[in-house]
Amino acid sequence: MALGIFLAIIGGAFVCLQNTFNANVKKQVSVWTTTALVLFLGFAASLAAGLIFEGANLFSFQAEPWFWFSGIVGVGVVACVTQGVQLLGPSRAISLVMVSQIFFGLMWDTLGWFGLEKVPFTWQSLLGILLISGGVLLFQLGPILEQKRFMRLHPDVAKASNE
Amino acid sequence: MKGILFALLGGFFLTFQSVANAAISKEIGSWQAATMTQLTGFVLAILIVLIIRDRSYRQLNQVSPLYASGGMLAAVVLFSNMTAVHIMGVTLTISIFLIAQLVLAIVIDSRGWFDMSLKKIGRTQILGVLMMVVGVIILKW
Repeated sequence: MALGIFLAIIGGAFVCLQNTFNANVKKQVSVWTTTALVLFLGFAASLAAGLIFEGANLFSFQAEPWFWFSGIVGVGVVACVTQGVQLLGPSRAISLVMVSQIFFGLMWDTLGWFGLEKVPFTWQSLLGILLISGGVLLFQLGPILEQKRFMRLHPDVAKASNE
Repeated sequence: MKGILFALLGGFFLTFQSVANAAISKEIGSWQAATMTQLTGFVLAILIVLIIRDRSYRQLNQVSPLYASGGMLAAVVLFSNMTAVHIMGVTLTISIFLIAQLVLAIVIDSRGWFDMSLKKIGRTQILGVLMMVVGVIILKW
């Protein structure tokens, strides 16, 4: 359990670093070139790590056909998130993406599809993810709401800052 | 409305990715799963680049090597994600991933590290992260 929490903290921090680095790449090249580059380097790094830890054993596995299509999901992520951000702006889009992630997570734990261990649904876990979702919304949308309230309370300042 | 659907679908794909990777790694091993999904994803992405005749890769030499190599971090991300899902399930893994992600984002934004524009951190953001932590504690109690 403690190992799981530790790994999730490290993993999450690395996701943030990667998003930050990718944002800098996207300043120069398109979304799809960035995606191709990121996936290629991810492939190369995973291959290297696999060779270091497992040697030639890395290549002795029996894959079911659908395994080879799993990478397509990552491309779906990029396509949908990019469209969402373009249509809604980053704060709104990312908050929805995150909330959706958590709810589908609970759904998946409850159903236990794909041979993953079922985590039984409880009302307590629903309360937990409602709080987590609320936290995400507050984090992402809080600054927008604060700014709006400020502008309502001080219309003159807001007007001046727009000019 | 269309934007909302895209964002929700994006979240679904992200969770689906965690689940699929965890399931595949259970069958054939973590590094095998990571290598395989990144390779097939790359093949599809490069096809898209070719189809839309995207030539922006010519500007890649203007990107700092540190930022351009960010993709390598995926090896750590995928390994920790798959292992964490095996240990404690999808919901808890995603929740803690998100908290760590947002906390580091606060640090990076407030210091303007990595060429990010300096942002002041509001009370709502600290409060939001605290709410998430409370949510995780309730989830796991």
